[in-house]
Amino acid sequence: MKKSDRLVPAKNSVTLNLFQGLLKSLNKMLKQVQHDGHNFFRLIFFFVLSSSSLSQFKLPAYEKLELENGLTVYLMEKKNVPLISFSAVFDGGSIKDGDQPGIASFTAEALKFGTANYTRAEIDSIFNYYGSSIVTYANADYSGLYTQFIKDNTETLFQVIKEVIMNPVFPETEIEKRKQRWIAELDQAKESPRSVIGSYFNKHIFGDAPYGSPVDGTKAGIGGITLEKVKEFFNTNYRPESSAIAVVGDFNSSGTKELIRIYFGGWKNESAKIIMDMRIVNTPFEESSVYLINKDNATETTFIIGGYGITMSNEDQTQLDVINTILGGRFTSWLNDELRINTGLTYGARSRFAQYKYSGTFYISTFTQSKNTEAAIELALKTYYRLFEKGIDEETITSAKNYVKGQFPPNYETAGSLAGLLTQMYVYGLTDSYINDFEKEVNELTVERANELINKYFSKDNLQFVLIGKADEIRHIAKKYGKVIERNLSEDGF
Amino acid sequence: MNYILIFLISATSLFAQITADDVQTINLNNGMKIMVLENSSIPNANMYLFYKVGSRNEYPGITGISHFFEHMMFNGAKKYGPKEFDRVMEANGGANNAYTSQNITAYTNWFPSSATEIIFDLEADRIANLNFDPQMIESERGVILSERSTGLENDPMEELWDAVQGTAFFAHPYRWPVIGYESDIKNWTKEDLENYFNTYYAPNNGLVVISGDVKIDDVKKLAQKYFEAIPAGPEPRTVHTVEPEQTGEKRLFVKREVPSAYLMIGYHVPETGSEDYYALSLLNSILSQGRSSRLHNSLVEEKQLALQAGAYYGSAFDPTLFLFYGICNDTIKASVLEKAVLDEADKIISNGISENELQKVKNQQLMSFYKTMETINGMSNTIGTYELFFGDYKKLFTAPDDYKKVTVEDIQRVAAKYFTKENRTVGILNTEEETE
Repeated sequence: MKKSDRLVPAKNSVTLNLFQGLLKSLNKMLKQVQHDGHNFFRLIFFFVLSSSSLSQFKLPAYEKLELENGLTVYLMEKKNVPLISFSAVFDGGSIKDGDQPGIASFTAEALKFGTANYTRAEIDSIFNYYGSSIVTYANADYSGLYTQFIKDNTETLFQVIKEVIMNPVFPETEIEKRKQRWIAELDQAKESPRSVIGSYFNKHIFGDAPYGSPVDGTKAGIGGITLEKVKEFFNTNYRPESSAIAVVGDFNSSGTKELIRIYFGGWKNESAKIIMDMRIVNTPFEESSVYLINKDNATETTFIIGGYGITMSNEDQTQLDVINTILGGRFTSWLNDELRINTGLTYGARSRFAQYKYSGTFYISTFTQSKNTEAAIELALKTYYRLFEKGIDEETITSAKNYVKGQFPPNYETAGSLAGLLTQMYVYGLTDSYINDFEKEVNELTVERANELINKYFSKDNLQFVLIGKADEIRHIAKKYGKVIERNLSEDGF
Repeated sequence: MNYILIFLISATSLFAQITADDVQTINLNNGMKIMVLENSSIPNANMYLFYKVGSRNEYPGITGISHFFEHMMFNGAKKYGPKEFDRVMEANGGANNAYTSQNITAYTNWFPSSATEIIFDLEADRIANLNFDPQMIESERGVILSERSTGLENDPMEELWDAVQGTAFFAHPYRWPVIGYESDIKNWTKEDLENYFNTYYAPNNGLVVISGDVKIDDVKKLAQKYFEAIPAGPEPRTVHTVEPEQTGEKRLFVKREVPSAYLMIGYHVPETGSEDYYALSLLNSILSQGRSSRLHNSLVEEKQLALQAGAYYGSAFDPTLFLFYGICNDTIKASVLEKAVLDEADKIISNGISENELQKVKNQQLMSFYKTMETINGMSNTIGTYELFFGDYKKLFTAPDDYKKVTVEDIQRVAAKYFTKENRTVGILNTEEETE
């Protein structure tokens, strides 16, 4: 249940995930920051102060350093409120799950189960006492720790964060308790088709390859976790030389730099290092197929149509984002216009690129009452094929360019989002140009270029489908779109 | 050297923290109030328009019309016809959304500050000259029915919440869901919408808050140019229905296939800004804010009875519900979780809370305040909310001090006053009803 006020919005979030959507692959600027930090600092302050006259948004000044143990550290001062945001990332994402789906997520959470000096309950109590909280998580490509606190409490909380990262003890009783609840949560998550359809889609696209493994795991995967397996995953993947910390907020860099050295400079991991070759080949689909997930009591069909997409370092991603804005990335997008505004078939229809470090997907997603399933799929496909048949015109592209530029700066308004950005830049090898050249990239997109990119990146044939709904009512429709593979929603896994 | 010093001084003043005095107010002749907070941290601004109308202003037959109306505000006016509002806004770099609650309807625009004037033009057009295109009404009906069914499809708690409200209240309009009854959604007429517009969408029933990279003098000029000519309307009638006091426990059951039972318990409590508001609000935090909160720590972590457990006390103009909720762990019976939740409430009534616990939730309030002031959206939304629900936006800036005044005795007193058996409604949603 959402803990927000009980509000009924007019529009669902057909907003772009710009955080994931707009990345670059050059490495030059970062090096310049390392070697010439001071000049960079001044230059950026100039930009910030002039932001009202220059509409272009630039990444605020920051410092990047590497400690002796190999830990990468980012520091960015931001003093509008007396808060500090702290983001740490580790090389422990679910692509490393192997035959234990969920071990990455579980290990990330287990960091907080207790340390040398604090129990699970004490860790939560200390953070909560200071008005804060501490979150540990994993996604496909990495795992992380995030917290935000009032600046006066920095050193007190650094003591706890340090232990959570460096000295978790993984008490067995906490592991067993959490496993039991986690398994029940996996059943409960399936009450919401829209929150699990992405896991079915990734399974359908990637199969047994790493990105097919659901980030939250399966009941079998979680059930098989043992203390030894958590320790092994931790020892293998949580190492200073493959981790980064970003601190953004109301502090002075020199003092905080010293604190980081004191608290995290002594982190060592001397266990054997396993180098995994994570390169992934996207095997082309030879035919369309439909993954039909039966939900007995469904009143609507939730569906996804798509295929492979792009990686986080794709050089065309900013321009592709403009194209996707037109197709399904904003309220007036083609998909939302047709499926919601013109026909009232759904409350919202969208499309997006889900980008990962080594692969990615592109998909259209929406939902509709069971009886409208075929009409909605037909209209979604017809609208999608407009990309290839009619292409994009000048007026639409100008509007989309203005839209993505106008909506860009608020994504990096808070210390938390900037700390997240810096650690993502670390994980994905991105540079400042990701932010600073964003507007230039957008401006350079022409109609001709857009239509070239459409043919290069958007799958035209052999589309893949996932439908969650009442199978008896929609099976005959599913068959029209390809070979049908059917499962029950209640079955373990995806 | 001087050069650098100047930079440092400017940087400090740029990031100076915001106070109540930074919020400036423009009062237009038609009764419209516009509050402005200049902040140039990003080259963007927003405009939040709040109307004092929500589902509490409805009656049976037109339930859900406030929310439907909110959708219709995007479907065409005089200068900008159907679809034009969104198309023009997005082409100028702006985005928008809106929400309806039991109490208010809010329209939110986020845009690069270079687009400020076009936003005024778009808003003025729909406030002054909204048009109801019959075709747009029909397609929007489908959208709302989809919105309603997708909410229920994806969240059993939503279905239970509707049932608890409908049972706890039998007189006051808080008894129906904001989205409305399905039969009403299917039967509103164009005339119902026109009446609603004429009654509630006058400039004197609205409040505008603008934060971001704007200047007060420019905003004033734009407000006069675009908003001031829109005529004021008569004061809408007040909602005078008072829910009679509940004198005995109410219980309800909702049948739905789920892996484990859902529980919700509601107690009648006073409205936002009332005498007991701050104590109840902190009591809510003690019960539910953070993983060390009483409900989560005890019921989820320690006893393993629930997958989720929490409490909720939202903003409301009229006396509302203080809710406890939980989702049972795998094999746990709803009756077991219910007893455990009630025990947590009883513990506060019997033993009170510690000074340390009170300090924790005060610290959490301070942290929330800072987080709100971290973004221009947080600023506008919260300034508007305080102005509407507390009658004065300045209460936002005194909130950390207002919370400081609450004592451990206050917390225990309000728990004992409101968490009584005769004042509660207990709802359970499950595949089958439990037998004793």
